[in-house]
Amino acid sequence: MFKSVIQRAGPISIRRMATAAVEKQALVKTFQIYRWNPDTPEVKPTLQEYKVDINQCGPMILDAILKIKNEQDATLTFRRSCREGICGSCAMNINGTNTLACLCRIDRDVSKDTKIYPLPHMYIVRDLVPDLTLFYKQYKSIEPWLQRKDVPADGRENLQTIEDRHKLDGLYECILCACCSTSCPSYWWNQQEYLGPAVLMQAFRWMIDSRDEAGDKRRSFLENGMSLYRCHTIMNCSRTCPKGLNPGQAIANIKKSMAF
Amino acid sequence: MLAVSRLALRSSVRPALRSVVASPVMISRRGLFEGYGLPQPPGNIVGTVNDAVPTPAPDAVHGSYHWTFERLVAVSLVPLTVLPVATGTLSPAVDALFGGLLIAHCITGFQSCITDYIPTRKFPRGHIFCNWLLYIGSAGALYGVYKIETEEEGISGAVKKIWNA
Repeated sequence: MFKSVIQRAGPISIRRMATAAVEKQALVKTFQIYRWNPDTPEVKPTLQEYKVDINQCGPMILDAILKIKNEQDATLTFRRSCREGICGSCAMNINGTNTLACLCRIDRDVSKDTKIYPLPHMYIVRDLVPDLTLFYKQYKSIEPWLQRKDVPADGRENLQTIEDRHKLDGLYECILCACCSTSCPSYWWNQQEYLGPAVLMQAFRWMIDSRDEAGDKRRSFLENGMSLYRCHTIMNCSRTCPKGLNPGQAIANIKKSMAF
Repeated sequence: MLAVSRLALRSSVRPALRSVVASPVMISRRGLFEGYGLPQPPGNIVGTVNDAVPTPAPDAVHGSYHWTFERLVAVSLVPLTVLPVATGTLSPAVDALFGGLLIAHCITGFQSCITDYIPTRKFPRGHIFCNWLLYIGSAGALYGVYKIETEEEGISGAVKKIWNA
């Protein structure tokens, strides 16, 4: 019977039953994106303008730059991976703030341009891709792994109380996107010697881990004028962290634990 | 008098900054900064990309002791600043302590600036030169504190005089 109804109604009336999709007006937003190409080192870096209809685009900045790369300019270069703020690849400077492009909403006010730069004061590989080699070398220098003199008697796990586990909250979530380190003026001036907030917060994460026994060694790594004490509590790190962590407080805790 | 001695200290540091760094604009612009100071390795990478950054030898005097001293000086300056305002006067001995601590506080502050902007890594000689300028200026300021304590009515008295003028 149903079949006969369809046959009688015909294709045209079925189409009339569907709700007509509301045609959204184009909302064109201008993005100004930092461009630099290592193949033409004599050409200075410039800001290139792209116009995107944000009604035809996802809500986040990453959606916009992916759309630009797909539809307008395939040479635009940036890092991205998880698109949900868990990998830290798409860290960049958006409207003057270091953040993850995938966690940053597009400002729907089209009268203002959105400016996108790579992480500040880093060596640039290309466009929005900074060279993080030094950052990772610094992370390696704090020996970010569990260090113990003995293994558990039962040969299984190093156990920890619930309270001790809670001490790691707000520290272990760090994804090493380098937003905080590259927002720190002290790291801009002295990144060769100052470790920067991200790495120092991880140093603290291992210092207060109840299972780790190398706390004194870890503190002795920082016992000099440059590695830790170039922190002048500017607090840009805590303000910019896209994960809402507080590296400034972690550094203050290291300093407190090292004072007499 | 205090203001004068601090001014003297500041003006003794400023020309030094100029001669080494040329102008404050240069600090912020990497392009102009090239040619000043020792050349740095490309990408600030020393060794291979898989080596960890070298860890300096532990040195508490420049590390935790220095920081603790800095904090103690800063904290003890708070009551010494509030006390003369609240009571209206300070004994010469306490006033001298206040002057001395204030100079110590300024030295650590300026030293931080020198380490940040004229690092040994880039300006080995400029760093030493600026630190010596700071020490000489601070010695002058310390002599000023001695004079103001022995010949006039101390730092709190001088501030009071300016306030009431």
